[in-house]
Amino acid sequence: MIVEGSVLPVRRANVDTDQIIPARYLTRIDADGMGEHLFEGMPDGPHLLAQHPGASIVVAAENFGCGSSREHAAWALLGRGFKAVIAPSFARIFEENAYTNALVPIVVPAAVAEELMSAQHIVIDVAAETLRADGGEPVSFSLDPLRKQFVLGGGFLQFLNAKIPEIRSWEAAR
Amino acid sequence: MPRSLFDKVWDAHVVEELPGGNALVFMDLIVAHEITTPPGAIAIERDFDDRLYDPRRIVAMIDHVSPAKDSATALQGQTVRNWAKRQGIVFHDIGDNGICHVIVPERGYIGPGMTACCGDSHTCTLGAFGAFALGIGTTAQAGAMLAGCLILQRPKVMRVEVTGELQAGATAKDLALTVIATIGFRGGTGYVLEYTGSAIRALTMEQRMTLCNMAIEAGATTGMIAADATTAAYLAATPNTPAFSLDVQADPDAEYAKTVTIDGSAVRPMVSWGTNPGECSPIDGIVPFDAPAESLAYMDLKPGRAMATIAIDQAFIGSCTNSRISDLRAAAEVFRGRKVTVPTIVTPGSQVVRRQAEREGLHDIFQDAGALWTHSSCGPCLGMSMGVLAPGMRCVSSSNRNFPGRMGDGGRVHLAAPVVVAASAILGRIASPAELPAVRETVLA
Ligand code: SF4
Repeated sequence: MIVEGSVLPVRRANVDTDQIIPARYLTRIDADGMGEHLFEGMPDGPHLLAQHPGASIVVAAENFGCGSSREHAAWALLGRGFKAVIAPSFARIFEENAYTNALVPIVVPAAVAEELMSAQHIVIDVAAETLRADGGEPVSFSLDPLRKQFVLGGGFLQFLNAKIPEIRSWEAAR
Repeated sequence: MPRSLFDKVWDAHVVEELPGGNALVFMDLIVAHEITTPPGAIAIERDFDDRLYDPRRIVAMIDHVSPAKDSATALQGQTVRNWAKRQGIVFHDIGDNGICHVIVPERGYIGPGMTACCGDSHTCTLGAFGAFALGIGTTAQAGAMLAGCLILQRPKVMRVEVTGELQAGATAKDLALTVIATIGFRGGTGYVLEYTGSAIRALTMEQRMTLCNMAIEAGATTGMIAADATTAAYLAATPNTPAFSLDVQADPDAEYAKTVTIDGSAVRPMVSWGTNPGECSPIDGIVPFDAPAESLAYMDLKPGRAMATIAIDQAFIGSCTNSRISDLRAAAEVFRGRKVTVPTIVTPGSQVVRRQAEREGLHDIFQDAGALWTHSSCGPCLGMSMGVLAPGMRCVSSSNRNFPGRMGDGGRVHLAAPVVVAASAILGRIASPAELPAVRETVLA
């Protein structure tokens, strides 16, 4: 699986999920319609998006996706055409939500993220866990080996569904 | 090997170890509310014949927007309502509801040694009962409803030992802010915080909930406090008292990935000045000189500004951090016989809290002071349905988040304890209750 595209640099640290998608838009019973409001809660967010039309990879600063557990943050990024987020660190719940929705969450050292913010074009080989910016040297990263399969093939709920007999017998023996 | 409290609860719920340090972890309780549950419930109905692992392990409620503010939020409520009805799930509807993190403990749905999850980050509140309780996304919650389990990376454990005892004037909220300022706003990432020490043991259950509520604001998976006689007494008075034992305790020689010690006697009333909960100062302090420019630009503050000179436009007492009866009692003591000078909203955390407050006459004190006393709800906390801020408006709030835009686009939030919010509402600026002139007899009469 190859993910490639141009970059949206989010230099602000601690961008919480309210900034990614404000609460006033959490009024739907499905995952649709979030993309058009992406980053509306971040100071200068809409302006930043307008400066980088067609970007499909977010490169962010520390602690991206902290705060509220809302999966709407992942849905908003996907809805706007983003396929991967690269950052020095993610908040736990955002990272889990990214994996289950096949929005590739990639952790790189802060200095690498800093460099990638000014890249023109990034190519990510998800299966091989490497990325290249503007044809430069490959940078390797590592994904959670279990959750990587949900990025490559989906099936998070199917995976759990298949575990039910085992879970039932565990519970019976508890 | 000696184990922590977290280790014991976790180990007792692992169904299977999975690759990459993950585990299949059984959930004793799943809490569901109208904002994050519908897409998951609909996915299970569509793809898995509406089959749930065990509806008796789910508690559902209308929570964030109650009553509905428009047709869209009414549809969210109706979706959860219909789903709960057809699945036989316990459901707290409008009139019998409130904030899930207030309802779940007060009704006795959580107990020591249990695991719990909800599509809501402040589920860590329930860790006050010696439970492992955490916030998750909609899809993970759907997985727990379908198969009874979450897939989780085993977190590390940080012991947060609070020695001494909180002094008069310092509250659990101040301790929560002090913990975040000490370990750092993201210092808890990858950890469970296990709070121990004499100052923790002396806290009431409501204070413990306030403390654990803000574990997520340090990035932690959750916070936990071992159950004791205080826990047992609280649970004994709830209507659905779970079967519980106080046996799940950390071994005395348990090893922790990290230990932080905080002097509880030195905790002072705190107020945030920045755009995350770690950016806070003592109320008699200043905006620090090394404060990040980005935060100060958003908050329209300059370094060196004395906290107690910052004028406010609105005050809010409520949220899952500070909307329980003890919070309202403390705020009422400050309001009694005085008048607010800015719009002030007081929102109880549940209908049970609301009715108790009214039995005690607290609603009269708030309303005599000129504050708005509302029904129970998340209210202004998340800028979704009431008390939303306009750009540039400044609100002192007893809630837990001050991120940009949290209470409304461009709105500025200062986090503080309910007594500080009340004093600030009266003086129209950030203020400590200690600053208030005594109430004159004539005002009381
Ligand atoms: S009160 Fe605020 S923080 Fe708590 S659950 Fe409601 S919206 Fe979330």
